[in-house]
Amino acid sequence: MKAISDAIIRSPSDAADIPDLDVTPIMNMFIILIPFLVSMAVFTHLSILEFTLPSNAGIGLDDSAGKPELKLTIVVADDHLAITHGENMLDSIPVTNHNYDLITFRNRLSYFRQNVSIRNEAVVAVRDNIKFKHVVHIMDECRSVGFVNIGLSNATSNAESGV
Amino acid sequence: MKSKRISLIHSSGDENGGTFKPQLTSLIDVMTILLVFLIKSFSVEGNLVTQSDNLALPVSGSKVKPDPVLSLEISRNSLIAEGTILAHNSSFVNSDSMVIPELLNWFSDRNKNEVEKSDNKIMIQSDREIEFNIVKRVMYTCSRAGYSDFSILVIEEG
Repeated sequence: MKAISDAIIRSPSDAADIPDLDVTPIMNMFIILIPFLVSMAVFTHLSILEFTLPSNAGIGLDDSAGKPELKLTIVVADDHLAITHGENMLDSIPVTNHNYDLITFRNRLSYFRQNVSIRNEAVVAVRDNIKFKHVVHIMDECRSVGFVNIGLSNATSNAESGV
Repeated sequence: MKSKRISLIHSSGDENGGTFKPQLTSLIDVMTILLVFLIKSFSVEGNLVTQSDNLALPVSGSKVKPDPVLSLEISRNSLIAEGTILAHNSSFVNSDSMVIPELLNWFSDRNKNEVEKSDNKIMIQSDREIEFNIVKRVMYTCSRAGYSDFSILVIEEG
């Protein structure tokens, strides 16, 4: 019976003849380090999206001959996304399942960007009832295909007219 | 016999001089995981711009860090500038005029008090569920007050 009691009392480290590790300094370090890191931690990273108000939406003013050149305009409506160039409607991407098809939009926008003269500027024209998060997503997509300067404008109810 | 065995288990340190040695392995495991997580989110700079409490900002892939400039906040109910509620959204959302008079007055008062203007830059903190109609009116009023360089505060994705 005494042998059984000894076996219960003996810890695994004793059984293997391994000395107990003194973890007190490590715990002290943790107790100092963790409050310091908590005070310096940033859990939400904020950034900004820059844009301008286009003075004349859809028209660039950088032509040396004085004749304004047209910029690509993306019309954001509640049932579709339209890509226009001046008065020409280039493409229209319908909303499916209450979501904008951003992948198709990105591909189409990238394709049309190759065919216009102003490739670093675009205008996002938004209808009044569109939620702001969708505007940000569309601006993100414009930036991802290479548009550097993005103008934000108001869209009329007639998408074919551009802005 | 059983009670004696239990007492031996709980008082194992008594024979070694009466010290109690708690099992710290699991605690150190937790601390190590916590330490790695906190080191990952450690930032020397911190945030130069703070998000308002009552806003759910939109999420974006933009990596441009914000600078401290004049900021306007558009919550779901009201338009706020430097902690002051200027107008309720319902008061101007259906107005015929694009200008928000309260905001324009606030800008003119601010200019009278000769507060330094930060290079025509203005940052808009808008709730993600706000309709563009409201944001548009705020932007238009800002442009009437002489601000032309806009930025939107967003939460960085990922």
